[in-house]
Amino acid sequence: MKNKTYVSGYFPDDKDLIIAIKELQEKNVDITDVRTPFPVHGLDKVLKMRRSRLPRAGFVAGAIGSIIGFGFQAWVFTEAWPLNFGGKPYLSVPSFVPVTFELTVLFAAFALVFGFLIRSNLGPGADNHIFDEEVTNDRFQILLEAKEGNAESLHESLQSVGALGVQLHEVKS
Amino acid sequence: MYKSFEFTQKLKTFLIVLMVIGAVLTVAGVFLNLDHTHRIWANVLLNGFYFTAIAMGAAFFVVVHILGESGWHTAIQRIPEAMGQYVPYGGVIMFLVLVGMHDIYHWSHTEDLDEVLQGKSAFLNPLFFSIRTVVYIALWTFLVRKIRKLSLASDGSTDLKLFTRSRNWAGIFIVLFAITSSTSAWDWIMSIDAHWYSTLFGWYIFVSSFVSAVAVIIILLFVLRRMGYMDHVNDEHMHDLGKYLFGFSIFWMYLWISQYLLIWYSNIPEETVYFVTRQNDFQFIFWTNVIINFLTPFLILMPRGTKRKMNWLLIAAIIVFVGHWIDMYVSIWPGAVGHAEFGVLEIGMTILVAGIFLFLFFKQFAKAPVVPENHPYFKESFDYDNIR
Amino acid sequence: MYVSPVREPLISGEKSYSKVTEEIYAPMTGRPGKTWYAGLTLALIALMFGLFSIFVTVWDGIGTWGLNRTIGWGWGITNFVWWVGIGHAGTFISAILLLFRQKWRTSINRSAEAMTIFAVMCAGLFPLIHMGRLPLGFFIFPYPNTRDVWVNFNSPLLWDVFAISTYLTVSLLFWYMGLIPDIGTIRDRLKNGIKKKIYAFLSFGWTGSARHWMRHESMSLILAGLAAPLVLSVHTIVSFDFATSVIPGWHTTIFPPYFVSGAVFSGFAMVLTLMIITRKAINLEDYITKAHLESMNKIIIATGSIVGIAYITELFIAWYSGVIYEQYAFINRAFGPYWWAYWIMMTCNVITPQLFWIKKIRRSFVATFIISIFVNIGMWFERFVIIVTSLHRDFLPSSWSMYSPTWVEVGIYLGTFGLFFTLFFLFIRFFPVIAIAEVKSVLKTSAEKFIKKGK
Repeated sequence: MKNKTYVSGYFPDDKDLIIAIKELQEKNVDITDVRTPFPVHGLDKVLKMRRSRLPRAGFVAGAIGSIIGFGFQAWVFTEAWPLNFGGKPYLSVPSFVPVTFELTVLFAAFALVFGFLIRSNLGPGADNHIFDEEVTNDRFQILLEAKEGNAESLHESLQSVGALGVQLHEVKS
Repeated sequence: MYKSFEFTQKLKTFLIVLMVIGAVLTVAGVFLNLDHTHRIWANVLLNGFYFTAIAMGAAFFVVVHILGESGWHTAIQRIPEAMGQYVPYGGVIMFLVLVGMHDIYHWSHTEDLDEVLQGKSAFLNPLFFSIRTVVYIALWTFLVRKIRKLSLASDGSTDLKLFTRSRNWAGIFIVLFAITSSTSAWDWIMSIDAHWYSTLFGWYIFVSSFVSAVAVIIILLFVLRRMGYMDHVNDEHMHDLGKYLFGFSIFWMYLWISQYLLIWYSNIPEETVYFVTRQNDFQFIFWTNVIINFLTPFLILMPRGTKRKMNWLLIAAIIVFVGHWIDMYVSIWPGAVGHAEFGVLEIGMTILVAGIFLFLFFKQFAKAPVVPENHPYFKESFDYDNIR
Repeated sequence: MYVSPVREPLISGEKSYSKVTEEIYAPMTGRPGKTWYAGLTLALIALMFGLFSIFVTVWDGIGTWGLNRTIGWGWGITNFVWWVGIGHAGTFISAILLLFRQKWRTSINRSAEAMTIFAVMCAGLFPLIHMGRLPLGFFIFPYPNTRDVWVNFNSPLLWDVFAISTYLTVSLLFWYMGLIPDIGTIRDRLKNGIKKKIYAFLSFGWTGSARHWMRHESMSLILAGLAAPLVLSVHTIVSFDFATSVIPGWHTTIFPPYFVSGAVFSGFAMVLTLMIITRKAINLEDYITKAHLESMNKIIIATGSIVGIAYITELFIAWYSGVIYEQYAFINRAFGPYWWAYWIMMTCNVITPQLFWIKKIRRSFVATFIISIFVNIGMWFERFVIIVTSLHRDFLPSSWSMYSPTWVEVGIYLGTFGLFFTLFFLFIRFFPVIAIAEVKSVLKTSAEKFIKKGK
């Protein structure tokens, strides 16, 4: 496989970052990634990111959880082995509420967390390339992927919007 | 910048017409039920209590945000504030209930009590009951006026001391209301089924009234915006109100199921009788209560988008408002009337009292600027986001 | 996001983003101090003693406990409920306060949530030990077996199994998802070596990409939305263990919300007890300030007063109900042989937190520390009162009885303290105690430096 070339530059403040991104967008530069030490407000709008679909995944999984939870209890007590407990009806709906609720939450939580990890390509042993170790400290980084040898022009445009420490990276893909 | 509300003649006429319609229907209903006074008084109690509880729920909304050091609510704060001022007028209707006490509360027939009720007579007797009713109303009136007065005072001055004082009074409010909200619910509602008791009952009724107060805030906000006021209110405020309606509907369901499940599970006849009557004689309305107050707001308001769209929010709010009226109906009717009845009287009196409530609300709302511009956190209300 | 200058800053001192990283990372570097070793040793000794007591219980049987036929639940279940209660603060702080946009949450949520997880682990031990046969613990899970009999889904004890295990799982997920950005930070601070490899593995390959952050926030919000009712459900279901019965003093409908309130109350007290020491021990005074203290103490007053109102409600309704057994249960609580437990509970839970109405007291670390210990004690006694005094005089006077614990029960309780503190000491050594990224995200709106500038 061919190596990929990236150009990175950073800003010390989130406000400067957003201004720079807007300037780059005006110059029609495709922004590959922006990396920040904490969630920067308004960044999602500037980068025109679609709203995450995780909530929907959570809803579906939660619905499945509640159906399984309720269905299983109902099946156990009416079909599999009906037992009389304290004269309650076999299908004693109020009794099934707590377990149904817990399973709903459990399924939804798993869906959310694993959905998040899988969609973001994160997980135990994930080996994502770190371009600048200070990003998790105090740097707001813009990352541009170079195509067909335009690394030089990307380098220039990054510098022109005031990015610091602009440099090239060769990454094995 | 913020357009002051003007209580126009047109609106006044409309509300007066509404009240007249309500009054005519009420009178008709009363005449139809002259040999059935239980039902008349049960209606007085239901509407008297429901709207007073909404007013107190609204005042609680304001107070809890003051104590929580909230900023966002300042954009809409004047609505619940003005709603709270209805308390003394609702109190008048509650005083009427005292007149019809014998038709609602069978413990008030002191000459003819069984052993259990004799045991309770130190608490449940007409005199003490009347005293308590007067005390609740007087106390609440004092508290809602105090909070309102401090808020209005801030319009003319930027003194931070006002803010501190309103926080102190909010603390006093919450302590006193924490006690009286429970005891008043026992008095006015729980004692209808005089033999029955449930420790959770006061909190259940309180949450019910808080949810309905949030629903009414949303409805009034919609009405005011339709008339061209409150255009500073943005999606984020709607979203927050929507979350309140959503969250507290779930919380209401939680309390409902807690009470129901424990009584159903333990199966002690003295307790189950309460739900047995409701499930047998009020079956339809009993389950409607649960579905309408939990499932509909839950499903409508779960997506993020619907909380930010006024129309969806309004639909949910109206459903919840009607739903908690039904909730009160299920609480009052089985003990006070005995069988489910719904007709001209119920519709008429609800329209009448709702009309009075609205009239007094608008009158109160017109008295002051629509926002507390000098509130120290006022600006925060226009610069925040809900997480996407 | 605009923040009113009237608000008190949450983070004091001159802080930049890198300074935040540096100061929160500092306790994890270098050699741990003597106090850390001393603390860990003590905790391990307690843990060993607990393990020995559990061994005795399993080897000789549950007869080594002070239980008898009338009082079947003693210290074991009291401790279970107490620990679960403590385990409510963490998720309350990270979930419910997130929904209410309380920024002060950012400085304490990480450690509070760690405490939640450890406390729930301690709690979970007790029902298992109480079975007397630890290896048979799997009987409580529904699984297909040759006898075709399933577990009893009508039993609140089984609901507990689901509630506690779901709570532990979801809290763990929530906590760890919040941790990965910070583990990434630690990874990037470390030079090469085995330690870096371990943190790199634990960080799940975190890069700080804006896309990831957006998903992360969205996930956290929905998880918070799920965790909020979950917190309520856990102690609700614990309260069902008692309230679904017909025992006077146990069966009352106010139990679910009142238990939840009590749980948050005791959980906050425990968080305060530990955080007041921790912030001093590892120099985090700038991050956990008087503003945090005051906010937490306000929640203590609120939940403590709710608990107080619930006590009085129970008392009143016992009289109002006209049920003589119900009335006797409460008279017996206050004036029976266990009167001291009742009055300890009343003083510690209802009276002491009221001191926080005084601003000076709720902003004083020393006073808060003392009161928080009172609350911890009071909430333990609340469970003792509910469990033991309601049981010890039941419907048949001939079976009335008294209960006192044996050294084995006390030993197991000490052992759970050992477990809790062992885990806590390891946690403050190997993980950042404060959510670094979250503190950075509120730095500009809540730090003294920025507020003063009027930004």
